[in-house]
Amino acid sequence: MTLFDRVFGGNDVVYNRAVAAVDSAIATYGEAEAVSFPDTAYSLPCYYAVTGEKIGNLGQMKAALDVIKGMMTRENRLHDAFQSGIAAALCAEFLEALKYIHGATPYEAPCCGHLSDAFVRNLGVPLVTGDIPGVAVIIGAADTADEMVALVKSYQGQGMLVSITGDAIGQLQEKGYKTGENVRVVPLGYEMQSVIHVVSVAMRAALIFGNVTPGDFKTLAKYTMERVKAFVNAYKPLSDEIVAYGAGAICLGFPVVSNETENMFKVPKSLIQQLDPALFNATSLEARDIKLKITNIDIPVSFASAFEGEIIRRGDMQVEVDGSRLDCFELVATKDASEIEDHRIIVDGPELDEIPVGSKISLSYTVEVAGKAMQPDFESVMERKIHAFLNCIEGVMHTGQRDMIRVRISKADFEAGFRFKHIGEVLYAKIKSEFDAVVDKCQVKIVVGDEANHELRKHANEIFAKRDDRLRSMTDESVPVYYTCIMCQAFSPSHVCIVTPERLGLCGAVSWLDAKATNELDPAGPCQIVPKDRCIDENLGRYEDVDEAVNKYSHGALEHVTLYSLFQDPMTSCGCFECICGVEPVSMGVVITCREHAGMTPLGMTFSEMASMTGGGVQTPGFMGHGKQFISSKKFLKAEGGLGRIVWMPKELKDIVREKLDAAAAELYGVENFTDMVADESICTEDPEQLLNYLSEVGHPVLSMEPFDM
Amino acid sequence: MKDWARLTTVEEMEAATNALLENGKKVGADSWQQRVKNQMPHCGFGESGTCCRICSMGPCRITKKSPRGICGCDVHGIVGRNFLRFVAGGSATHSDHGREICHTLYQTKPDGNYQVKDPEKLIRIATEWGVETEGKDIYDLAHEVAEMALLEYGKPFGNQRFLERAPEHTRKLWHDAGIEPRAIDREVSTAMHMTHMGNSSLPEALIRQSLRSGLSDGWGGSMAGTEFSDVLFGTPKPMDTTANLGVMDKDMVNVVVHGHDPSLSEMIVHYANDPDMIALAKSVGAKGINVCGVCCTANEVAMRHGIPMAGNFLSQENVVLTGACEAIVVDVQCIFPALGPLSKCFHTKFITTSPICRMPDSEFIQFSASNAGENAKSIVQMAVENFKNRDQALVHIPDMKSKARVGYSVEAIKKTLDTVANSQVDTFGTLKPLVECVHSGVLRGAVAMVGCNNPKVRPDYAHIELMKKLLENDIILVVSGCSAQAAAKAGLMDPELAKEYCGDGLKRVCELANIPPVLHMGSCVDISRMMILASDLAKDWGINISQIPLVGCAPEWMSEKAVSIGNYVVATGIDTFLGVDPYTKGSEEVTALLQGDHGIKEWVEANYTVELDIEKLGDRMIQRIEEKRAALGI
Repeated sequence: MTLFDRVFGGNDVVYNRAVAAVDSAIATYGEAEAVSFPDTAYSLPCYYAVTGEKIGNLGQMKAALDVIKGMMTRENRLHDAFQSGIAAALCAEFLEALKYIHGATPYEAPCCGHLSDAFVRNLGVPLVTGDIPGVAVIIGAADTADEMVALVKSYQGQGMLVSITGDAIGQLQEKGYKTGENVRVVPLGYEMQSVIHVVSVAMRAALIFGNVTPGDFKTLAKYTMERVKAFVNAYKPLSDEIVAYGAGAICLGFPVVSNETENMFKVPKSLIQQLDPALFNATSLEARDIKLKITNIDIPVSFASAFEGEIIRRGDMQVEVDGSRLDCFELVATKDASEIEDHRIIVDGPELDEIPVGSKISLSYTVEVAGKAMQPDFESVMERKIHAFLNCIEGVMHTGQRDMIRVRISKADFEAGFRFKHIGEVLYAKIKSEFDAVVDKCQVKIVVGDEANHELRKHANEIFAKRDDRLRSMTDESVPVYYTCIMCQAFSPSHVCIVTPERLGLCGAVSWLDAKATNELDPAGPCQIVPKDRCIDENLGRYEDVDEAVNKYSHGALEHVTLYSLFQDPMTSCGCFECICGVEPVSMGVVITCREHAGMTPLGMTFSEMASMTGGGVQTPGFMGHGKQFISSKKFLKAEGGLGRIVWMPKELKDIVREKLDAAAAELYGVENFTDMVADESICTEDPEQLLNYLSEVGHPVLSMEPFDM
Repeated sequence: MKDWARLTTVEEMEAATNALLENGKKVGADSWQQRVKNQMPHCGFGESGTCCRICSMGPCRITKKSPRGICGCDVHGIVGRNFLRFVAGGSATHSDHGREICHTLYQTKPDGNYQVKDPEKLIRIATEWGVETEGKDIYDLAHEVAEMALLEYGKPFGNQRFLERAPEHTRKLWHDAGIEPRAIDREVSTAMHMTHMGNSSLPEALIRQSLRSGLSDGWGGSMAGTEFSDVLFGTPKPMDTTANLGVMDKDMVNVVVHGHDPSLSEMIVHYANDPDMIALAKSVGAKGINVCGVCCTANEVAMRHGIPMAGNFLSQENVVLTGACEAIVVDVQCIFPALGPLSKCFHTKFITTSPICRMPDSEFIQFSASNAGENAKSIVQMAVENFKNRDQALVHIPDMKSKARVGYSVEAIKKTLDTVANSQVDTFGTLKPLVECVHSGVLRGAVAMVGCNNPKVRPDYAHIELMKKLLENDIILVVSGCSAQAAAKAGLMDPELAKEYCGDGLKRVCELANIPPVLHMGSCVDISRMMILASDLAKDWGINISQIPLVGCAPEWMSEKAVSIGNYVVATGIDTFLGVDPYTKGSEEVTALLQGDHGIKEWVEANYTVELDIEKLGDRMIQRIEEKRAALGI
C-alpha cells in the first residue's frame, strides 16, 4: 500500500464516521440544533479557517460534509493527499463539535478538549519572544509510562507547549504527572480525533495574529508553516486515520516524527522515522528548525519557562519568603565596577537547611550590576524580569514585586539540594545573558533574617520612591522620542506598536522604558526610535514621524496611526492584547473587557468576539486592543474625551485598575470613586438600557460628554 | 521593468526576436529564420536516413523501386550505418573537448594562467584511480592524473576507468552486451571502420557500436571534460544569476562568450574584472564591462561565476542583432558560420580562438594554455575599444530578464540534500532524502531534460511547456545545455517564482530545500553529471538505474553530440524521449532496435521513444514514470 493510499483510506474512515454522526445527531435534535465550541468567536474554527464559512447548526454541518467530500480527490499526487489530510481534520472537528451538542460538557479533567480563544491569545507573547519555542503534539502511547513522562518532561524543560492525545494521557496520570495550561502540558482527549483541538489553536493563531482571511487556505498554510513551530510525535501503531491526520499536519508545515516502520514511508523534514523515542525530542527540534535559548544554570533542578505558571501549595512548601508580613524585597541596583566582583553570590544569614520546614521568613535579594552602558532607568526593567526568572525554576513560585514579594520553595527542591544561593545563581545567569549589552559585571546579595532586612528595606523603599517620582514625571510630552515595538511581527507581520510613556505596548509587557532598554541592548532590534518633531494634531496624537514609522515597519500595510484616538486611525494590534475596548452606542461610552473574562459584555459580544474584530495589524475604528495599564492613562481615548468614556468593565479588571483609575478620573473630571461608576457584570451583562439606567443613577461623566464623532 | 511575478512566455520571446529581426533588416542582416525557409522542403532521403554516400559508386538512395544500394546494402544497413556515423561525430566532438581540458590540466602551474581550483576533487579522482596522493605536490598530482586521463583516449587494452562508478548491475549489462567502451578514440575509429564501404551492414552490430561509442563519450570523454573542468575552475555550487537578452546592458561594453570550452571564457571573465580594463572602459564612455554568455560556454561560467546567460543556441544571432555587442568571442561547437557576415552588419567583432573552429569573416586569435592570459586581455581590450564604434541608433535590447539559481553539480545537490536530512536519523552526503521523496510519492519522479534548439520545433516552446507540465505533476527536473537556458530565460530557475508552477509535492520540496524545481546541472558535457546522479541514486536506493522513475528527454535536439548523448543515456538504463526523429525512420529494423521491446531494451533495460507531438511526449514521459512506480509497488 502506498503512503497516499493510507492517507486516502484514513480520510474515508473518518469521513464515513462523521456522516453517520451528523445523521444521527439530526435524527435526535433536528437540523436547526446549534453546534459550536465554547469560548470561540471562530466556530467551527478549522472549517471556518479553511473554507471561510461558519457553521452554526446541524443542517449547515450536513451541507458542509459535501464541501469536505469535494476536497477528497484521489489522484496520486501530494496535493490530493494534503487535501484529504485536511478533509480528515475537518471531519474530526465535526465529530468533536458534536460532543458539545445541546450544552454537553464532554471533557473532564485532566482532558481539556476544545481550547478557548483566550488560550490562543495567551500564547501570543511567549511564542513571539521564544519563551515557548515550539508546540509538541504527542499522539498515542509510549512503551512505558516512564518513557512518556521523560519525553513530556524533556519538552517542558525546553519551555515547549505540549499537547497530548490518546493513551499517553493515562500514562501521565499513572505517574501522577502534573498537567494543565499552567505547566504547558495540555491533555486533549483519549480519542485520536481530539488532536483537532490543537490544530484548531494553530489555525486560529493564523486568523488572530496573522490576519489571514478565512477561506484563504494558501495563506493559512503558509502562515502555519512559517510561523507556528509545531510538530507531531506519533507513537506506533499508526492507523490509517492517524496517517491521514498526519498528512493534514504536514500540509500545515508540521513534521511528524514516529517510531512506526510497518507500512510506513519517509519524507525529509516532514515524515521522519525515529526508532528510538528517547530521541524524539532532538529529532523533532531539528526537523522543525527550533533553536532553543540556551540557559545553562548550575542549579540542582530544572529551569525552563514551562514552569512559569507552576503553583506550589502550602503543603508542598519548604519555606515561604513572605513580604506581606515580614521585611522582604527585591532590588536591582547600579554600582561602580570596582564595587562588584563578577559572579559573586553572597548569602548573609542562615541557609535553607538551617531553617525549619514550613517557616515564613524575611529575605531580600539585591542584584548589583555595573556596566559602561548601564543606565539607572534600566534597573526597574531588569527588576520586573525577576518574577519570570524565579518562576522558571522548577519548584519555585514567585509573586509580587518590590517589597511585596512572596517566594515559595518546594520540599522537592530542598530534597534535590536547592538552596538560597541557587536563587543567586539564577539571577546572575539571567541578568548577564539577557542584558549582556549593558551589564558587564553582576553580583547578588541575599540577606536572610528580620533584623538585617528591616533597615535594608527602608533603604530600598527610598529608591523605589525616587523611581516612582521619575516615572510620574515621565509623560508623552516630557520625553524626546517614542519607540516602535515590532516583536510580534514574527506572528503578526503587519502590526507595529508605538510605545510612549503613557501608552505601553498593548500586550502589557513593553513599557517605554522597556522599549528604550531594548533599543540600547539591540540597536537593530524590534524597538526603534521614533522622533516626535513633526506633530500634526496634538489632541489626536498624530505625528508625521509616527506615520512614517508605522508605514516603514508595517511594510506599507499602514499609513496613519494616531496615539490617542479610537476612531481616527486607531493603533492596530497583533492579537495578543490584554484588553479590548469597543464603542457602546447607546451610552456613547466604551466597554472594556479582558482576556480573563469569558462572559458576555453589553455589546452582546464576548472578549473573543470583540477581539476577532481587530488584531493581525488591522485598523477597525471603534475597536482597539490595549494593555491594562493604559486604562488609567490620561492619554486613554484622549481625543474622544478620555477615560471618562469607560462605562463597563469586568469586575476583576476594575479591581486591578481601580486605584490609578480613580486618581486619574479625580484629576481629569473632579469625580471621586470613578471605578464604582463603571458598570460590571453584576450590574448588567447584555442589556444596554440597563446599563444606561445605571449610568444615570450614579451620574457617570460620560452622560455630559458630546456624542462620538463617528 | 520586467514583472518578476510571472514567467516570461515563449510568445514574448518571439515578439522580442521579431523586433530584433526588424533591427537586422535595417542593416541587411540575414537570419536563420530566413535560411530555414530557403531550405524547405528538406530532402526526404536525408530525413529518413536512406541516402548512402559512403563510397563514390553512389550516392545510393533507397526507394521501393531500388531497395538496395549498388553494393547490395539494404535500407536497414544504410540507416544503421548513418546512425552510427552520427553518433561517432558527436562522441568525437564531446570527447575532444574533454581532451582539451585534460591538456589544460596538464599545463597547470601555481603561477600560470591555469591553476587547480578544487584540489579536493583532484585528490578524490586520483584516489579513485589508485594514484598515491599522500605527500604529493598538488600540481605534480594534477599532471600525473591529466596524463592518465589523456591515455584513456588511446589506451591499447582495457576499458574506461570511470565505468567503475556505475552500479554493478549496470556494468554487468554492459559486459554482457559487449558494449563496455575501450579507448575513447578507438570507439570512434571502430565506428568509422565498421561503416566504411564493405564492412558492417547488420543493424544489430551497428547499434551495439552506437551504444559503445556513446558510452565512451558519456563515461569517458565527457566525464573527463566535466570532472577536470571542476578541478581546474571549481566544482559548481548554487549561485544566483540572470538570464535572457535583457542581461545585455546598453551602458556597458558587452562581451558575449559562446561555445563550449570554459578555458577561454574563464580567462575572459577574469580580465573583464581587471581594474585596468574597467578603467579603460570608463575612459571610452561605458559604465563597465559586461560579460554574458550564449550556449554551453554560458552555462559553464554561469555555474561557476554567476555570469548572466543571454541566450541559447538559436539566440546566438539575437545577441548581435541587439546592436550592443562589442565582441562575440567563440571557442568550439554550435557556432553559426552566419555570425561572420552578421557581425559585419554591425560594429561587432567576431573573434574565433580555436583551430578546431575556423570561420570566414572572423578575427582569429589562437588560444593556448601558455598565451591564454595575454590573449584574453587583448580580446577584452579589443571589445572595449570597439565601444566607440557602436551605432546607438541601432541599439535595441529587449527588456526581458529572469532570475535564476544555477550550479547544481552532484556535489552541490548532495550538499543541498544534507540541509533537509536529520542528524538524529540520517547519514549526510547521500541522495537518500531525494530517494525518500520519490519513494513516498511526494515527487513522482525525475526527468533529465537536455539538448539543443531546433527550428523543426518551435524554439524553446517544447522545453518550457514540457517542463511546466512535468512540474505540475510533481516531477523534478535536472537540466543542462540549451534546455537549461530555456528554463532560465522563462524564469523556471527562479526559486520563488517557479515553485508556484509546481504541484504541492514538488513545491514543498523546493521550499524545504530552498531550490528551484528545475536544477541546472551544467553544459552538454555535464550530462555526465546526470549519469553519476543516476548511479548514486540507484546505489542509495538499492535498485537498478532502469527501475528509478527517471527518464531522459531531448525535445529540441539537433546536433550529432545529442545523439551520442542519447546513446549513453539509454545505455545507462534511462529511457529517453526525443522530440525530433534521429534520421532512422527509413528502417523498421533500426527503429525496432532503438524503440521496440526486443532491441536495446533487452540489452540495457531502456530504449528510445520518438514523439513529435510535444503534448503527447509529455504524457508519455509521465506515463512511463508512473509505470516504473507501479512496478516498484510505490
